[in-house]
Amino acid sequence: MTSKKDLVGQEAPPAHLIVRGIDKSFGGLQALREADFEVARGEVMALVGDNGAGKSTLMKVLAGAYSADAGSFFLDGNSVSIKSPNDASDLGIQIVYQDLALCENLDVAANLSLGAEPVKAGWSFLPHFLRPIDNLEMESKANKAIKRLQVRTLHSVRAKVSGLSGGQRQAIAIARAVGTESSVVMLDEPTAALGVAQTYQVLQVVKRLRDTNHAVVYISHNMQDIFDVSDRITVLRHGQNVATYITSKTTPDEVVMAMTKGIDKNSSGSIQNAI
Amino acid sequence: MQSEKKITFLDRLRTMRETEFGAFLPVLFALAAIWGYFGFILPLHDLITGEAESFRAIFLSPRNIYNLFMQSAVIAALAVGITVVLLLGEIDLSAAATAGVCAALLGVLVLSGVPGFFACLIVIFVGIIMGAAQGLLVAYVGIPSFVVTLAGLLGYQGLMQKILPTGNLNVGDPFVRSIARLLIPDMWGLFLALVVFILFALTTVRKQLQRKEKGLELDNKLTVWFQIIVFGIILISAVLTLNAYRSLPLLLVLLIAFTALLDWITKSTPYGRSLFAVGGNSESARRVGMKIKRIRVSAFAIVGLMAAIGGIFGASRYGSVSYTAFAGGSLLLEAIGAAVIGGTSLFGGRGSVWNAILGALVIGSLGNGLDLSGASAADKLMVSGAILLLAVAIDALSRNSAGGR
Repeated sequence: MTSKKDLVGQEAPPAHLIVRGIDKSFGGLQALREADFEVARGEVMALVGDNGAGKSTLMKVLAGAYSADAGSFFLDGNSVSIKSPNDASDLGIQIVYQDLALCENLDVAANLSLGAEPVKAGWSFLPHFLRPIDNLEMESKANKAIKRLQVRTLHSVRAKVSGLSGGQRQAIAIARAVGTESSVVMLDEPTAALGVAQTYQVLQVVKRLRDTNHAVVYISHNMQDIFDVSDRITVLRHGQNVATYITSKTTPDEVVMAMTKGIDKNSSGSIQNAI
Repeated sequence: MQSEKKITFLDRLRTMRETEFGAFLPVLFALAAIWGYFGFILPLHDLITGEAESFRAIFLSPRNIYNLFMQSAVIAALAVGITVVLLLGEIDLSAAATAGVCAALLGVLVLSGVPGFFACLIVIFVGIIMGAAQGLLVAYVGIPSFVVTLAGLLGYQGLMQKILPTGNLNVGDPFVRSIARLLIPDMWGLFLALVVFILFALTTVRKQLQRKEKGLELDNKLTVWFQIIVFGIILISAVLTLNAYRSLPLLLVLLIAFTALLDWITKSTPYGRSLFAVGGNSESARRVGMKIKRIRVSAFAIVGLMAAIGGIFGASRYGSVSYTAFAGGSLLLEAIGAAVIGGTSLFGGRGSVWNAILGALVIGSLGNGLDLSGASAADKLMVSGAILLLAVAIDALSRNSAGGR
């Protein structure tokens, strides 16, 4: 409530995607109330909040899966509108859902190109969906995508997804989102179902995304992961912004407090950290 | 850090079945076992026990093989179509009844003077419409395919009876009859087989070279040559066997051509990839923007197409259309059994139309072999049931071991 209108402080990088005043209600339930959010290129913005705080709703609004009742969207300062998933992906906003949605019966390369398979040239007399797939081109693309994210444990892009570990699958899902010329990548609880080693692997991939100048939105409950990987943290509570913290200048306790109790107007100490 | 997982027999089975060529091996082994039993062991047993005076290799005689191929052709055509909907995780119980309606319509059309060629085109069109209609109900109304096609099975059987009030009709049209009767001359058949073999070998080797050029992971050299050699042996020996009795019939060439086309469409085009994607994870397919409903409808249309072709094959081979040949369920169950025995998963997302052809041969060989050895119809049913159960069990086990669910 306090610092809603001036999220961008001195230290914040110039934002790539900015949304302002997002309202969204489902029947009588107001899931988002004038929520603001922003993310810059080359940063990992964590989005946290208790269950029902509106994280997923906000993310789905950004991805175009829900359309907002009110609010404005800016990409690199230009006003844009996101009404459908296609709008979002045209703008380069990609989302990796928690359930990943990979086809286990297909191999890695096929999953990475799913829905946009490269076809061989010279078959233009056939409708596009009946032209032969260029498998070699598909594999080269997959190899590049995997290399870019440095998924070292994956030996072959011709391996079936059903045989991969949870961390590898998460990496494939991320690679698929990144592969489509995206600038904003949103990850929904990417480490929720993973063990220690695989969580590490996924966090490495997230860092690679930041290094390749993507704007990364990272939704998680896990404070340890968030403090490991994020640059800034946006806290939502009851569908409203509580604050945005710079990760290096705050503590897990403070963030948890903001998530669960909100920020008291009088406790000026925390607001100073909120940029 | 991660301990090496123990590779169990089931894991091996699963990895083997996941390779394109490996998926053929179980059904090839099944076929070899059945042929070995009826072709060698049974005659040998008869010889030793004194039931027969000489070694009677009736089963593996060129004449019987020829008949076996022709008998299995209708089942194979239906099984190839059914495989396409199985890839989506759907089922079509009405395929045989659709084939029956198409065959009956063909008989009536040529009787009323429509030229055979046009009559065939008309029934193919009708078959596609009959399949697509069911697909529309599945995709847009949301009725489970089992129910829609069960209703289709009943309804189309009724329709067939309406078209054929007497339950039987002779088909004498020369064009229709020629599909099963026309034989490719021996030399041309062999030439055709050689051309196909050389094309197969060239594309396989060329693909390998291109992979090398692009620095991609190479296929195992041994597997590549094994693949080419096994393909060549099967193809050439099949043609030689057929030539030894009569010649390569046009019907088989057509069946193989349609299957090859469908195999290409399902394996190598974006449309085919979407079939596998919807069968594997329809939510994933939806999110990447695939038109799932249209895909469903088109798959059912393909079953209709193959059913119509099966109907034409049947009418051509028997020279008549009878209610009992198509309706009643045995043809349908044999076709579904053939697809499943071929290794196509009932759960969707895995399978191949070539395997359906081999599955049809397994079913056909069982029936044929048991007939020759004087088994009763009861035995036939029970053995077929056991084989089908075995095939589904292998499917279920190899799926379970994939882990996850």
